[in-house]
Amino acid sequence: MRALRSWFIAPSAVLMAVTLAVPLAIVCVYSVLTRGAYGGVEWPWTLENYSRLLDPLYGAIFGQSFGIAAVATGLCLVLGFPLALFIARSGSRKNLYLSLVILPFWTSFLIRTYAWMFLLRDTGLINTLLQALGLIRAPLPMLYNNGAVILGLVYGYLPFAVLPLYATIERLDASLLEAAADLGARPMATLARVTIPLSAPGIRAAAILVFVPCLGTYLTSDLLGGSKTILIGNLVQNQFTASRDWPFGAAISILLIAVAMALLLAVRRQGSELV
Amino acid sequence: MNTGMSIRAKDGFAFYAAAAYAFLYLPLLILAVFSVNASRFTVWQGFSARWYRAMLADHDLLESTANSLIIATASTLLATAIGTLAAYALWKRSSVWLSGSLYLSLVTPEIVTGVSLLAFYQWAFRYLHLQLGMHTVVLAHLSFSVAYVVLVVLARLRTFDPTLEEAALDLGATELGAFRRVTLPYLAPAIAAAAMLAFTVSIDDYVITSLVAGVDSRTLPMVIYAMARRGVNPVLNAVSTVVVVALGALVLISERLRAS
Amino acid sequence: MNRRTFLIGVAATSIHTACARGARLNVYNWSDYIAPDTVANFERESGARVRYGTYESNQEMLAQVMSGNSGWDVVFPSEDFIGPMRDLGLLAPLRHEWLPNLDALDPAFQKPPWDPELRWSVPYMHGSTGILYQKSVVPAPSAWAALWDQKLRGRITMLDDATEVFGACLKKMGRSINSTDAVELIEAKRQAIAQKPLLRAYLNAEVRDQVVAGDVLAAEAWAVTAGQAIAAAPDKLAFAFPEEGYARFADSVTILRESRRVELAHKWINHLLRPEVAASIVSATRTATANGAAQKLLPAEIRENSVLYPSAATLEHGEWFQAQPSASQKLRDRLWTEIKSS
Repeated sequence: MRALRSWFIAPSAVLMAVTLAVPLAIVCVYSVLTRGAYGGVEWPWTLENYSRLLDPLYGAIFGQSFGIAAVATGLCLVLGFPLALFIARSGSRKNLYLSLVILPFWTSFLIRTYAWMFLLRDTGLINTLLQALGLIRAPLPMLYNNGAVILGLVYGYLPFAVLPLYATIERLDASLLEAAADLGARPMATLARVTIPLSAPGIRAAAILVFVPCLGTYLTSDLLGGSKTILIGNLVQNQFTASRDWPFGAAISILLIAVAMALLLAVRRQGSELV
Repeated sequence: MNTGMSIRAKDGFAFYAAAAYAFLYLPLLILAVFSVNASRFTVWQGFSARWYRAMLADHDLLESTANSLIIATASTLLATAIGTLAAYALWKRSSVWLSGSLYLSLVTPEIVTGVSLLAFYQWAFRYLHLQLGMHTVVLAHLSFSVAYVVLVVLARLRTFDPTLEEAALDLGATELGAFRRVTLPYLAPAIAAAAMLAFTVSIDDYVITSLVAGVDSRTLPMVIYAMARRGVNPVLNAVSTVVVVALGALVLISERLRAS
Repeated sequence: MNRRTFLIGVAATSIHTACARGARLNVYNWSDYIAPDTVANFERESGARVRYGTYESNQEMLAQVMSGNSGWDVVFPSEDFIGPMRDLGLLAPLRHEWLPNLDALDPAFQKPPWDPELRWSVPYMHGSTGILYQKSVVPAPSAWAALWDQKLRGRITMLDDATEVFGACLKKMGRSINSTDAVELIEAKRQAIAQKPLLRAYLNAEVRDQVVAGDVLAAEAWAVTAGQAIAAAPDKLAFAFPEEGYARFADSVTILRESRRVELAHKWINHLLRPEVAASIVSATRTATANGAAQKLLPAEIRENSVLYPSAATLEHGEWFQAQPSASQKLRDRLWTEIKSS
C-alpha cells in the first residue's frame, strides 16, 4: 500500500513544491520588503505593509468582496443543484447534457462578459425590447452596478458548481431514495433530508470552487461594474501594475490567503482536509 | 427507478433545466446573430460574412488559437494524470501538506500566482539560460488545474466502497492492478468531468498566462482581451461562434461514438 | 564534471543556439499603432524577421520588461516611463550614427523635455486627453468643469487611469497635472469623489462605442479614441481641448538593454523614421505622428484634423506627464483607492 501511494503522490508533490511553495515563499518575502522607487522590491525589511492593512478603508473593501462573493456562491449553488439533479437523472443523455453545460464556457470569458454588456446596456437588447413593448419608458440601469457584477459572476462560475455537484449526485445510491419514498416521504422531503445531505461533499466542493475565484475576481467588476468599485482582486492587481507597490500587494495577498484558509478550517469535516 | 417524484415534479425539473440552458446560451446566440451583421455596431444592417473573412485573415488570431490549443491539451493531459493519482493517494491516506498546498493553489488570487511564478521564473532562468515560452505557460496552468482535478475526483472517491478494492486484492490482484481494473473504471466519469474542467480553465486563462507567456506564446485570451478592450469588434463574435460550433460538433460526435 | 552536468550543459547550449539562429527582431508596441504592411516591408528590405506583439498599457509592458530577460528588443513607453526605465537600467543608449533619418522628426520633438538629447528614445506618436461629447449637449463642454454638470448625471465617463483622473481634477483646480503637493492632491480626491455619483463608469477605449451609440453624453477621452469616434459619427460628435489645460502624452521607441540585436533594432527605428513609412502608418491608425517630414505627406483630411493636430495656440495649454517621486506616488495610490471605494 505504502509504495504505490508514494509513487502516486510524488508527481503532484513535486509540482506543488515548484509552482506553489517556492513562489509563495517569494511572495511572503516580498511582503516584508520595501517598495522600489519604480516598482520591484528593495531590501530594507519592514512590517509597514501589514500595518497599512489595519486601515478601515481596506476592511471595507474586504467586506464588500466577501459579500459579493457570498451572494454569487449562494446563487450558483441554488441554481446549480437542480440542474445537476436533472442531468444526473437523464439516463443515457447524461453526458450530452453535461457537455452542454460546459460548452459555453470553452469560449472566452471576456467575450461572454461583453455579450452581457450588450444585453444590459441602456441602448442594449433588453432595454430596447422592453421599451418597444411599452413595458418601460426610460431605460433600466442594468449595467455598471453590483447587480451586474453578481450576474456576471454567477454566469461565469455556474459550471464550476454543476460539475462537482453532478459528480456526487450521479453516484448516489438510488435505493436510499427509493427507501425514503417507500416510507412515505414526499419528493421535497426526500430532497431535503436525503439527497442534499448525501451530496454534502459535492456541495462543499462546489462552494469552494465558486467562492474562491469570486473573491479574487477583478475582470468582472472592471467590465460589468464600470470599474467603479474596488474589490480585493482589483486592489491586488493595482498594486502589481499601476501602483507598482509589490510589497503591499504581496501583503494583501497573504492576508487574503490567511482568511480563506481560516474559512476552510471552519467548514472542515472529520478526516477530509480538502472538502 | 422510483425516486418518489411525481410526473408533474419531473416536468417542473425539465422546465427548469430548459430555462437554465437558455440562460447559459442566450449570450452566445446574440453573439452568433451579430457575427453575421454587416454593420460594425450593434445596429442590424443585413447579413454579411465579412467578419469571418477578417477572422481568417488575422494571422495573430490564428497563431494564438493554435498556441492556446497546444497549451490546453498539454496541461489537461498532465493535470488529469497527476491529479487523479494524487486524489487516489489522498483518499488512501490523507496528507496535510499536499491537501493544504492544493487548496492554497486554488485560494491564491490569479494575479498573485502569476506574479510569483514570474518572479520565480526570472530568478531560475538566470541560471538555466531559458526564456519565457510555452513551457512556462503549461507549468503555470498545471499549478492551478491539478487542484480542480483532485477536488472533483476526490469528491467522487468518497462515494466509492473501499471493500471492492480489498476484494480484488483478496482475489490475487496487485495493488496497481486493483487500482487499474476496479477503481479507475469507477472513477471514469469523474476523470472525464475533471479533464473537461481542466481544459476549460486552461484555455480561458488570461491573468496568469499574460504574465508568464513569452515572446512566442501569445494565447487566444490575450489576443481577445486586447481586441475587446478597444471596443466592440464583430471579429470576436465570429471567433466565439466558430469555437462553440466546432466544440459542439465534437461533443455530439463523441456522444454518438459512446452510444454506439 | 559528471554526466548530468554535461547533459544539462548540452541541452542548455543547444536551446540557446536554436534561439539565436536566424536574425529576428522582437518588437512590443501599443495595439493599433502600425500599418498592416509596415512589418512586411521591413522584413523584405532588411532580410530579417520580425515578431510583433502588442500591449494595452505601460504597466503591462513594464511588468514583462522589468525582469531584464523578457525576450523583447524594442518597446514603446510613454514619456513618464522613460525616466524610470532608464534609472532601472532597462534601456540601451541609442547610437545616432545608425539613425540617419532622425532629422525627419518634427522640431517640437527633437529636444523633448524627458530626453533632451534623444539618448534613449525617439518620439513616435503623441496625443492629448480632452472631452469627447455629443453635439446635442448644450452648452458645448469647453472645460473640465463641464464633466461635473448635474444635468448630465449618469451619462458621463472618465478614464480608468489614476494619472488621467487626477490630471483632470488638478486642471479643474488650476494646478499642474504633475502636482506632488499633498494638499492639492487631497483636494483633487475630494473633487473626484464629488463627481463619482454623476459617473456612468470609468472607461478607456471602450467608451468610443458607447458615445457613438448615444449611451454616453460626455467622456474624458484620448484624442485618438475621439478621432475614431468622430470618424464614425461626424455629425453627432465633437472633441474639446479643455480651457483650463489638459494632459499630453507621447510614446517613444526605445531599445532594451537586454537586446542582442542592437544594430537590427536601430535599423527598425530608422525604418519607422522614414517619412513615407510614418505617413502610411498614420493613414492606417489615424494617430498623430511626431515625424515632421511625414506630416507633409499626409492627406489633407488627416493633416488638418484639429483633434489630432491642434493649433499651436491650443498646444500651449497642454502639459506633459512626468514620473512621480515615490512619496507622492504612494499618496496618489492611496487616494485612488479611496476614490474607487467611495
